[in-house]
Amino acid sequence: MYSPEIEVQLKKKGVQVGGRVRITKGRHAYEGILMPRIGLGDRNCIVLKLENGYNLSIRYAKGVELKKLAGGARIRHRPAEVTEAKDPDKPTVAVLGCGGTIASRVDYTTGAVFPSFSPGDMLASFPELKEIANIKGRKLFDLFSEDMHPNHWQAIAAEVAKEIKAKSDGVVLMHGTDTMHYTAAALSFMLQNPPVPIVMVGSQRSSDRGSSDNAMNLACGTLVAAKSDIAEVGICMHGTTADDYCLFHQGTKVRKLHTSRRDAFRSVNAKPFAKIWYENRNIEILRDDYRKRGHGGRLALDDKLNPRVGFLYAHPGTEPKYVESLANFFDGVVVAATGLGHVSTNPKGDAVARSIVPALKSLITSGIPVVFVPQTIYGRINLNVYEAGRILEGIGVIGNGCDWTPEAALVKLMWVLGHTKDPKKVRELMLQNVAGELTERTEPDTFLI
Amino acid sequence: MKAGIEIHQQLDSRCKLFCGCSAAMQEKEPAAVIVRKQHPVASELGAVDAAAQYEYLRNRSFHYQIFKGEDCLVETDEEPPHALNAEALQIALEIAMLLNCEIPAEINVMRKTITDGSNTGAFQRTMVIGTDGWMKYGGKKIQIKQVCLEEDSAAIVRDENGNGKEPAETENGKATYRLNRLGVPLVEITTGILERFAPEQLQEIAFMIGITCRSTEKVKHGIGSIRQDMNVSVRNGPRVEIKGVQELGMLAKVVEKEAARQLELLKSGKKVEHETRGANLDGSTRFMRPMPGAARMYPETDVPPVVPDEKWLKELEKKLPEPWTDKLERFKRKLKLPSDLAVQVVGSEYLDLFERIMKKHWKINATVVAVVFTSTLKDIARKKIDVKKLDEKHFFAIFAGLERKKLVKEAIPDLLVNFVSAPDETIAESLRKLNLTMMRPKELKATIAQLVKDSPGMAREKLYGIAMGRVRGRADPQDVLKLVKRMKK
Repeated sequence: MYSPEIEVQLKKKGVQVGGRVRITKGRHAYEGILMPRIGLGDRNCIVLKLENGYNLSIRYAKGVELKKLAGGARIRHRPAEVTEAKDPDKPTVAVLGCGGTIASRVDYTTGAVFPSFSPGDMLASFPELKEIANIKGRKLFDLFSEDMHPNHWQAIAAEVAKEIKAKSDGVVLMHGTDTMHYTAAALSFMLQNPPVPIVMVGSQRSSDRGSSDNAMNLACGTLVAAKSDIAEVGICMHGTTADDYCLFHQGTKVRKLHTSRRDAFRSVNAKPFAKIWYENRNIEILRDDYRKRGHGGRLALDDKLNPRVGFLYAHPGTEPKYVESLANFFDGVVVAATGLGHVSTNPKGDAVARSIVPALKSLITSGIPVVFVPQTIYGRINLNVYEAGRILEGIGVIGNGCDWTPEAALVKLMWVLGHTKDPKKVRELMLQNVAGELTERTEPDTFLI
Repeated sequence: MKAGIEIHQQLDSRCKLFCGCSAAMQEKEPAAVIVRKQHPVASELGAVDAAAQYEYLRNRSFHYQIFKGEDCLVETDEEPPHALNAEALQIALEIAMLLNCEIPAEINVMRKTITDGSNTGAFQRTMVIGTDGWMKYGGKKIQIKQVCLEEDSAAIVRDENGNGKEPAETENGKATYRLNRLGVPLVEITTGILERFAPEQLQEIAFMIGITCRSTEKVKHGIGSIRQDMNVSVRNGPRVEIKGVQELGMLAKVVEKEAARQLELLKSGKKVEHETRGANLDGSTRFMRPMPGAARMYPETDVPPVVPDEKWLKELEKKLPEPWTDKLERFKRKLKLPSDLAVQVVGSEYLDLFERIMKKHWKINATVVAVVFTSTLKDIARKKIDVKKLDEKHFFAIFAGLERKKLVKEAIPDLLVNFVSAPDETIAESLRKLNLTMMRPKELKATIAQLVKDSPGMAREKLYGIAMGRVRGRADPQDVLKLVKRMKK
């Protein structure tokens, strides 16, 4: 938004954003297209797109004159007119957009970037997809993934189930990367026994750039959905910083481990299902313990959820009163504990240390399950080794022996509490492997891979 | 003929434009190589253009060599850009001010789409930091349309034959780039349309723009630090862009040859195409690609607009260094240097030392000093003697000696060569060692007298020649000439 002063002038001279204008300031004159003001910066500066493409800012002050010129371009999105006939020899993949712009178009006349969603746009942006499968694309919603709420997971699960019912050979979900692993875990619990692959993809680099990882992630993800026999929920993103292969990670065993790198998503305590080589389109299976396409079972949608669950990130100096107060907000608490699953228990009676055991006990006694997860991300919780662990096991925290990721455990607790409040049942369901989130054995070569 | 000049000059900031990596480009061996692909982004240009681009890029792979200390996650396109380098911005603004430009109220960083793989992000970050400037040239004002600050691209690693082909022309679709040049700050200076200038004058104008940049003393030197592009059109025909005139000295020739090429086409009834051509080493040009439409630019939203503080700008303007174009005038007028020697000195890395010596030893003939720093050092370097080993104390000692008539200018080359291998000798020691101590007047007189006596029939000119042969470097040729004239009637 321009400053009120400028808006008045623009209205007076009949100049609109996208229209051509001449601005005279002293003995200088500038001609170009009036650009919208994008948020940051000085609202009192008029931004013109010059003929050579550059945006020039001119501070509006007394003596600055505006004149409307003929021509200009309305800043609007024109979706591509591409209609593709269905190829009967190819599988059909449903591509659903949950947000994160995996496809964009740039209007160079105005510099505007439009998120792109129609099947026509998608095929215009990624012609290589039509070599892999028939694509049915539609937008569910357009959210930054940090704005997602567990209720959105339910909506997504329902739509995926719909597509599977409509006989799609696979489903691809385009999703923001920030909380993609939360959604992946949620879908893993809610979509039971899927008959086809359900593949989440995203892009770390915005899709208005020719260097974006979107094309490769989408192509590899579509390949997994269309051609692989991995009937699981998973995340497909770059495996390395190069454009050589993607990894298809199990949805409950994956996490975003870097703010910005293409290969930010890594499998935790497990190997990815497969490597998907971009150039030759080869799917290299890395482990064979997955549900195979054509297994004959039926998809069941179980989307019950209680979103009133929260994290406590334990650290030196955690305030016991704060821990107690969690009862005011949550029906379940997930504690990101240090090391093997420890928080301050102060068995030696140190004068300064402050145990949070009484606070945790008060939560458990009031019927709020407390689930322990590793702050270290990798590794297995073990409450038998040290005194702290034994004390915690003694008051009834849930998690001994579990190798879940913090996020998968949080989502699971929401899902379990959607089914029952009974502490005994909650404990039983939490400790039982539902969707691969808990394993009995850890292969040695699954750390930082 | 109408022409336009576009100069790209690398800045000598410590770090790159959008990250803390070193901009030195010193590392020789890459630490790793990353292979990437790129794809076209749909735009308003529609399906056909995108399809063509898609086909072009699908078979290309870009191999990026990364260098320790000089490349980070920003260069490998694994992290958003950091804040705009304030040091680089200041240098660029100084250049814009030296070129009398208007500085915009807000600096908007743009993305300019690049599809040849020379940028890992598939775009170049660029911004306008000066408009509507001018530069004096031969009593006229040359219009400086725009000064931009931008990132340099990755440098292509040429194939073994070094035939300078663009990546599109390499055979197996693989192009290798050195990533340490990516992100080095550049200023791009664009002139207005220049009409009725001869090719040599255009070359001079380009030179003057270059030395204006060097006036800040904060721009890089050496091969590749400054690149020239030209626009040439004849008879109001379409503009042809010529990229990559590497050596300034070739510019006039390139313009001449290009104008001739265009005239030839018109004469034989053919059309001059609106295209981009590359400059070849021999001054001719080769077709590179059709002229792209308006630059494909859109805002770089990862970097907020920069608003230069008005007070700070005024301070910067006050502290501007003397533009070297003015220095040139001063050298010609006050120091009486001949024009091309003045140009050589201003363009020399010894400029500052030259000025300091002239300040201290103002009685010496400036031309003598200038010649030492230009031709003499070049001649010595050509003999594979490392003149970089010379310290300024050596030069000060030599010119002090010259001023006090302890040595003659003919002795200087030998003294310099000597100092390279014996840097700690005093000038007196060196003169003695090399037998270049000035002859005392009596001694000189006696030598000449003896010579005249021994060769009674010899003509004056020959006597002078032989005398110089005997006393060269130890006596002023003028004194020798005077004596020969006096003693040989």
